[in-house]
Amino acid sequence: MSQEVEKYIKSEYEAGFVTDIDAETLPPGLNEDVVRFISNKKGEPEWLLEWRLKAFRIWQEMEEPQWAHVHYPEIDFQAISYFSAPKSMEDKPQSLDEVDPELLRTYEKLGIPLHEQAVLAGVANVAVDIIFDSVSVATTFREKLAESGVIFMPISEAVHKHPELIKKYLGSVVPQKDNYYSALNCAVFSDGSFVYIPKGVRCPMELSTYFRINEQNTGQFERTLIIADEGSHVSYLEGCTAPMRDENQLHAAVVELVVLDDAEIKYSTVQNWYPGDSEGKGGIYNFVTKRAVAHTNAKISWTQVETGSAITWKYPSVILKGDNAIGEFYSVALTNNYQQADTGTKMIHLGKNTKSTIISKGISAGKSQNAYRGLVRMNPSAQGARNFTQCDSLLIGDKCGAHTFPYIESKHPSAVIEHEATTSTVSDDQMFLCQQRGIDPEKAVSMIVNGFCKEVFKELPMEFAVEAGKLLEVSLEGSVG
Amino acid sequence: MTEVAPLVTSETVNVKKIDFSRDALAFVKTQAHDAGLSEVRESGYAAFESLPFPTRKTEEWKYTSLHALTQQDYNQAAQNFDLEDASDLYVIEDLDAYRLVFVNGVFVEELSDSISQAGIELTTFSQANDKQRDLIAEYIGNIAETRRNLFTALNNAAVEEGVLLHVSKNIQLEKPLQIVHIVSQQEQASTAFGRCLLVLESLAEATVIEQFVSTNESQNLLLNQTTEIKIGDGAKLNHYRLHTEDETSLHFGGVYVDLNRDSQFESYQVALGGKIKRFDVLVNHNQAGSHCEMKGVYLPKNDQHVDIHSYIEHISANCTTDETYRGIMADRSKAVFNGRIHIHPDAQKSYANLSNKNLLLSNKAQINSKPELEIYADDVRCAHGVTVAQLDDKACFYLQSRGISRPEAEIMLSFAFINELLESIPLEPLRKNLRPLLAQQFSSNQDLTQHILDEDSGVHSEEGAS
Amino acid sequence: MLTIKNLQAKVEEKDILKGLSLDVKPGEIHAIMGPNGAGKSTLGNVLSGREGYTVTGGEVLFNGKNILELDAEERAREGLFLAFQYPVEIPGVSNLEFLKASMDAIRLHRGEEAMDSMTFLKLAREKCKAVNLDQNFLKRGVNEGFSGGEKKRNEILQMMMLEPKLCILDETDSGLDIDALQVVAEGVNSQRSPDRSFIIVTHYQRLLDYIVPDFVHVLADGKIVKSGGKELALELEEKGYSWIENGEA
Repeated sequence: MSQEVEKYIKSEYEAGFVTDIDAETLPPGLNEDVVRFISNKKGEPEWLLEWRLKAFRIWQEMEEPQWAHVHYPEIDFQAISYFSAPKSMEDKPQSLDEVDPELLRTYEKLGIPLHEQAVLAGVANVAVDIIFDSVSVATTFREKLAESGVIFMPISEAVHKHPELIKKYLGSVVPQKDNYYSALNCAVFSDGSFVYIPKGVRCPMELSTYFRINEQNTGQFERTLIIADEGSHVSYLEGCTAPMRDENQLHAAVVELVVLDDAEIKYSTVQNWYPGDSEGKGGIYNFVTKRAVAHTNAKISWTQVETGSAITWKYPSVILKGDNAIGEFYSVALTNNYQQADTGTKMIHLGKNTKSTIISKGISAGKSQNAYRGLVRMNPSAQGARNFTQCDSLLIGDKCGAHTFPYIESKHPSAVIEHEATTSTVSDDQMFLCQQRGIDPEKAVSMIVNGFCKEVFKELPMEFAVEAGKLLEVSLEGSVG
Repeated sequence: MTEVAPLVTSETVNVKKIDFSRDALAFVKTQAHDAGLSEVRESGYAAFESLPFPTRKTEEWKYTSLHALTQQDYNQAAQNFDLEDASDLYVIEDLDAYRLVFVNGVFVEELSDSISQAGIELTTFSQANDKQRDLIAEYIGNIAETRRNLFTALNNAAVEEGVLLHVSKNIQLEKPLQIVHIVSQQEQASTAFGRCLLVLESLAEATVIEQFVSTNESQNLLLNQTTEIKIGDGAKLNHYRLHTEDETSLHFGGVYVDLNRDSQFESYQVALGGKIKRFDVLVNHNQAGSHCEMKGVYLPKNDQHVDIHSYIEHISANCTTDETYRGIMADRSKAVFNGRIHIHPDAQKSYANLSNKNLLLSNKAQINSKPELEIYADDVRCAHGVTVAQLDDKACFYLQSRGISRPEAEIMLSFAFINELLESIPLEPLRKNLRPLLAQQFSSNQDLTQHILDEDSGVHSEEGAS
Repeated sequence: MLTIKNLQAKVEEKDILKGLSLDVKPGEIHAIMGPNGAGKSTLGNVLSGREGYTVTGGEVLFNGKNILELDAEERAREGLFLAFQYPVEIPGVSNLEFLKASMDAIRLHRGEEAMDSMTFLKLAREKCKAVNLDQNFLKRGVNEGFSGGEKKRNEILQMMMLEPKLCILDETDSGLDIDALQVVAEGVNSQRSPDRSFIIVTHYQRLLDYIVPDFVHVLADGKIVKSGGKELALELEEKGYSWIENGEA
């Protein structure tokens, strides 16, 4: 990489401010009492408390996974607080007008439309659920959604209002014992979004959940459950940010998607947790389990743009259970400075004629390490199944790393798997051509990077595709020039 | 061969202790030729002791269970083999080669050639002269890596007999060197060790064939063979590793290669399946300008298992690697291919490409492929591609529509899948010999394989004429 | 327009330009010819500010400004255009996007407003036609998968769009068949104007049949060793470069 490219200047993490509000925060530490406290706080039924405790006991027996291509000091799980809620939420606000204005300003700063009027004024056709530290603070457009039978509410509320759905589906895709972090999440999850789309309904608007970690030394353990009943359709987007803090903070979420026959879920993520500073200090540890089950003729599309977090460990997966089910994974993962990412997907083909597509674009800059890890498995029942995988890495600078670890397992002769991976760089020649045509090095890099990611960006809902592009630009500043 | 206590016992493997105890090791040491082997033995022993016994959770052994190994005790192999008909097992027609033959790990002088060429040191460890012993001591254990493969550690610990080939500067080995390993049926489960040390000084050239064959009986001998190769500046080695043992055989092996400036390593690997057959090929691009070309074919069938791990380490700049592996899995067989390319931070301008294509012929067969790229330099061109598929139905139908039976069409297309790699083998007699041998894997019915073989002889007679 | 005085430059510690002087006035076309390794491509790269070329002496004034201090993109914005000998591929970045970014940057520098998208698109299509490139090329990645001739025509297309003051054509004729050469030449000729100058670097006289130069210079061993009118090119073609080299030696 040319010196020219190494001169690029620094930028600030734009979402790094701290909101100064009173919060009720549990002291650090984790034991059964903490689990009981959280369950009690949410007024949960006995069965759910038992479910949490069972998960906690499983978690205690488990060991932290070591196989990912990431390195970090051992996490002291007793030094983390497992519950934090803004005090003003003690008596739950009934409408947005009752929400602490300081909170609303937080979201305004982040550019998230909360007031329904603003949304209707044409910003974006989106209903938003806001999760601030451990609780949901607002969910917009609930009435409008209810007209078509769509349920969109905090999962803590759904436990009370729709216990039959929660009981049936919670943990049905990601069981308690699935992995270390999911077991932890099962024990201490505080809130998250719940979505149910009834049979044959096409959700009239984009649904979105916005996650924000504010409090210090707090872990965020949210849980999202989306059920798309037969023949339904929904597009869902989540966004994440956190303040700049010197300590590492833990985020261990679980997302479960149930996609019944002929239904479709499009799930997009723009993950911009605080990545730590340019020296590698601070930042979020993002250890997330996301999985979907696709029944007959169902379709699941995961699209992710990952630019944040000090460490990302996440593999949104699809179990293609029903015949003709379709799974897609489109990912852009960008790491800069000292960030580390180990991310990818798993496509487990069980049904006949199931299809999966994986397009992964990894961009490494600075001193970061960026790994794609993926599994494509064709089970003996996966007659006529197909997978296509394309994994491309772009390296910017000679201090970073780009890695590809695909696992390809086939047990059916009629299943077809194609996997390709390439590595490229932003070459000096390309930079010179751009400069000779009057284009700034910064702009040139951003054009090349955006071009590299094009196939993924086109899968994002339109409003967010532009955002994603900008986010990459900001995240890359300081890496080149 | 003196009787020694059992080498590997189920008990010791389970509890992670070596079968031959420290006492046995000390005993073997006193018996062994003093070829400077004690150091490598001791470090091998220490490495073996420190390595955990692989389970399915051990990344390097994820798809290969070693459970079968823990079911019985392993003894030193007995020399029970009638040498009379041995040559049928390994002779490659029309190949003019220097030949060294080992039976169950023991050198058999009467089947071997004695070779003298100026600038060449070629000997077994047991017959090494002082100069050759010094060479063995200098190189042995310095190239092989034990960290990822405990069988290599075990081989280091047990090393006694082996082959040394040293080619001096600017010298070409006049004929290919054919090293034959024959294994035969044992009364009880046994193990044998083999070792090979190939050193090419600068601008030297050689062709070496490591050939593994067995009698047609059910096998219960575990052969553990480690090969270390050093290729000096501008030198070139063509290396063949041919595994055509009986399907009941057990093999654990490793090929470890150090490449110096502008050197070339061309490797051709052919592996039929075995009860468990695992070998690792590790290539270190230690200095700029080296080139590695690897081509491999694996063809397991019935209940066989093949596991090939290749590790390419681009340590220096401007080195190139081209890897092509093709696998055809039939019946209930299982194949594992792990191809790792690691570009170190200073290895700018590296070029590395890996292609792995697989055919599954049955719905009980399995392939687990894991190509890996680990890259720490930016100005590089690296890529890998993997495909898994079955025979192209359209192509099958096309052949059928021209009157070819479905079974023959399938055989023709399967063979076509590996033919490209076979054809790239530069040693013509070997190529000719391998064709019928591999064709036989697809069907023992000669009517079905006659056309692929006919076509072959046609092609070759034309070549011969020109 | 451009004044080069005693320019010396090296690449990786090797002296390539050893005191080159040249004066280009507005509207003039200068052809620079010379044997391989004389420093022809180095001249274009040094003038446009490519990294890896170190100027060790002399000066270059472009419209009175010392441009050796400027970054490559600043020189481009001042109106200096290099048509590359080997145009670079940039997969993923479309030609159109690339051109727009380039034009916006240059217009901004000149104090002009960015061109609106419709006008820009219309202009780009027009110029595409002029260099005989299909409009689909605008949507494709910059030079991605273009043939040699298409890449060179794309360079001319960019030149037409950006309207530079000084165009340096670095062996634009190499690897072109006669038809492609004519297209390129027509493109260049259409851009001739009293306030635009050209430096045409070439190894062969053939291009100069189509683009008639005002001056021909012979570059050998890092210096201009002979200058003359267009007839010098013909003489070179006939007698070969050894004539000059030996003559001077």
